[in-house]
Amino acid sequence: MLVRGKGIGCMWYGIGNTGLPNPAAAFVKVHIDGSVTVLAGCADIGQGSDTVLSQIVAETLGVTFDKVYIKSGDTEATPEGGATSASRQTYISGNACHFAALEAKENIVKVASEILKCDEEEVVLINNTAYKNGCEDKTITYKEIMLGLKSRGLLAIGKGQFNPSASALVENMQGIPYATYAFATHIAEVEVNTETGEVTVLKIVAAHDVGKAINKKNVEGQIEGGCLMGMGFALSEKLIINNGHMKNPDFNSYIIQTAQDMPEIYPIIVEEESGEGPFGAKGVGEPALIPAAPAIINAIYDAIGIRFTHLPLTADVVLDAIKKKEETK
Amino acid sequence: MKEFNVIGKNVIKKDAVDKVLGKAKFAADMKLPNMLVAGVKRSEVPSGKVININAEKAKKVPGVVSVLTYKDIPGENIIGIINKDEPILVEDKIRRIGDAIAIVAAEDESTLEKALELIEVEIEETQGVFTIEDALKEDSPKVHGDTNILAEKILKRGDVDAAFKKCDVIVENEYSTPVIAHMFIEPEATLANYEEGIITFYSSTQNPHYDRGEVARMLGITLNRVRSVQATTGGGFGGKLDISTQCHTALLAFYTNRPIKMVRSREESMKVSSKRHPHYMKFKTGATKDGKILATDVELLQDTGAYGSYGLAVITRSMVHAQGPYEIPNVRIRAKMVYTNNPMSGAMRGFGVPQVAIGHEGQMDALAEKLGIDPVEIRTKNCFQTGSVTATGQKLVDSIGIYETIKKAADKAEQIMDKEGK
Repeated sequence: MLVRGKGIGCMWYGIGNTGLPNPAAAFVKVHIDGSVTVLAGCADIGQGSDTVLSQIVAETLGVTFDKVYIKSGDTEATPEGGATSASRQTYISGNACHFAALEAKENIVKVASEILKCDEEEVVLINNTAYKNGCEDKTITYKEIMLGLKSRGLLAIGKGQFNPSASALVENMQGIPYATYAFATHIAEVEVNTETGEVTVLKIVAAHDVGKAINKKNVEGQIEGGCLMGMGFALSEKLIINNGHMKNPDFNSYIIQTAQDMPEIYPIIVEEESGEGPFGAKGVGEPALIPAAPAIINAIYDAIGIRFTHLPLTADVVLDAIKKKEETK
Repeated sequence: MKEFNVIGKNVIKKDAVDKVLGKAKFAADMKLPNMLVAGVKRSEVPSGKVININAEKAKKVPGVVSVLTYKDIPGENIIGIINKDEPILVEDKIRRIGDAIAIVAAEDESTLEKALELIEVEIEETQGVFTIEDALKEDSPKVHGDTNILAEKILKRGDVDAAFKKCDVIVENEYSTPVIAHMFIEPEATLANYEEGIITFYSSTQNPHYDRGEVARMLGITLNRVRSVQATTGGGFGGKLDISTQCHTALLAFYTNRPIKMVRSREESMKVSSKRHPHYMKFKTGATKDGKILATDVELLQDTGAYGSYGLAVITRSMVHAQGPYEIPNVRIRAKMVYTNNPMSGAMRGFGVPQVAIGHEGQMDALAEKLGIDPVEIRTKNCFQTGSVTATGQKLVDSIGIYETIKKAADKAEQIMDKEGK
C-alpha cells in the first residue's frame, strides 16, 4: 500500500563563527574606463560568492554587473576572507566588499558633484551614469567622472573589512555567539510503500529567511540542493565503519540522492532584513540543508504512525519497523 | 521597499559559462612544464606504532625523484584549523587508517604507484578505540595525550529540574545520526611550484589563507614567501576546510625544485577527508497543557575520530542550537566530544546543527501529539520573536523571520499538498 504523509521541520542558524572573531576584507578599484576590480579573499567553491560580491559592489558604485571583475582567493593579491564556511561569506565578505566600494566611491561622488554642480548628497550613481537627484535627463557617464578624477590627480580605491559583533561564550556558555541568525521551515510530503519500506519524497516547501536575497536564483539553487542533501541525510546516507575500516568509500555503496530523486521543491524567500548585513543579507548555505530531514521524518510519522529517531531511514529499516508495529497490534 | 538595480536580480553566475562549456580549469587540469606527479603512502591499520620506514627500494625505481618522511620537514610537523593535533607525516603514532607516512614524487603515475608499493613500513599494531563508550573508559587506549575527551561542555540557563515539575507533559527520546560524507564532486588536488624563493600552490580549497599559514609553518618560512591560490573548486560542503594535498605537494616542490601535482582518488578522498560527526543524543522536553515549552534538557555525545579538525566548532555550535528556534526559559545542554581511531570528523554543512535538529524537531512533534495540537501550531506558539532571549542569554533583536517562514510554508503546503494528508 502507498501511504502519504506531511511533516514540518524548522531551524535557526547563527551566521559566522561561534563567539569568535571572524573578519574578512576586500579591496576595490574603479578604473579610468569605469570598469571595476574587486580583490576578495573569499573562496567561491561553486556556491556563487564571486557573483554575489560583484553584485554588492556594482550596486554600491552604481555600475552594471558586467563592469565588475572579481579576483578571489589568491593570497598574493587578495586580503584574508576567512573560511568559506558557517554560511558567512555573503554577510561578512559581502560587508567587506560593500565598505571597500563605499570608500572607492568617495572620490567619485566628490568629482561627480563638481561636474554636476550639486551637493554630494544629491549625486545619484546608477547604470554607469550619474545625475543630480531629480534631473534624470541630464546624465554624465562614469567615464567622464573618472576622467575628472584623473585631471584632479585622484584615484578611486577602497579597502573594507568587517567582523560580526559577537562575543565570547563564558560561564555556562552565556554570551552573544552570533550577530545574526537565519531561519527556515520546510514542509515535506512523502509516500511510504508499506510493502517495501521505501520512502519517496514528493514535495518540499522550503521557506527561508535570508535577510535579503542578493541573487534570488542563487538562493533558490542553494535551497534546492540543500533539500536533496537533506533527503540523503534522512533516507540513504551512512558510512559504515567497522573498527576504523570504512566499508563503503565510493558512490556505488554510499548512496546519495541524485537528479532522479529530486522532488518538487517550492522555495519561498522571506526577507527580514538584517541591520548589519550588506543590503540586509544574512546567509543560506547551511540553513538550506537543515530542516529537510526533520520534515521528512515527521512526514513519515504522519503517513504510518512510526516515530523514527535513528538515521538513516533506508527501506529495510522502515519495513522492519512496519512489521514490528503490525506484530504488536 | 528600496528599489535596487543589481541587488535581488538574477544575474548569471560569474563561473557559469566556463563550467557549462567544460572550460573551467580545476587543479587536476593544471599542468606546468617539467611537472612531477605525487602520492602518499598511508597507514592501513587504525592504531599502531611506526617501528621503521624503509624507502630504499622505492628510491631506486627509475623515474622516482623524491621520497620524503617526517624527518624531511624543516619546520613544524603539526596542523589543524582549531587545535593542532594532526601530523603532516606520521612520526611514530598511527591514529587512523589513512594516516600519511611518506610522500613520493615521480615522473609518471605508474612509476609513482610502483614506488608507493615498494615503501616498506613496519608497524606494531596496537589496540584502538572505536566507540564513544570505549573511548570514555578509564583504561582505554588514548588517541592523544592522557584523555580521549577533546571537549566537555555545559550550557545552562534557568533551572530545568524545577521547571520539569511544572510541566503537564514531558517527552523523552534518544536520537542518533550516522557518519556522513560530503561527496563533493571534485576530489582534492594541488599543483605546487617553488620558484625564486616563493612557494606557490593552486588547490581545491575552501580557505586559501589558512592553507598558506600551515604551509609556511611546515617549511619554517614567512607568510609573504607562500602564495596560496584557490583553483576552481568543485564543491566542498566543509570537506575542503582541512589541509588535504597542500602541505605534501608544497614539501615535494620545495625539495625537488620541480612543479608537483597531487590528485586524490575518490577512495583516498573518502578515507582521509573529514566526515560529519556522528551524534548520540538524549532530549527531554516539557510543556504546559496549553503548549508552552518550559524546559529542555539535552545530552550530546560526539565522535571526532582521530583528529580534532573542526570538532571544537561543532560541539559549541551544536549546543547553542540544540534548543531549536524556540523560546525556552529553562535549558541545559551537556556535551562531550571524544577522540577515537575512527575516520576524522570535521566540518560539514551545518557544523552539528543538522544533527541536533533531528532531536529538537522530533521533540516538537512528539510534544504536539501528546498535547493533541497541530505540529504547526506548537511551533508558531513557541518560536522566537523580536525580544526573545536564547539559552546563551542573547536578546534577539535583529531580523527574526522564523514565524514568517512557518506561516508561509504552511500556507503554501495547504495549497499544493494532498488535502487528505494520507
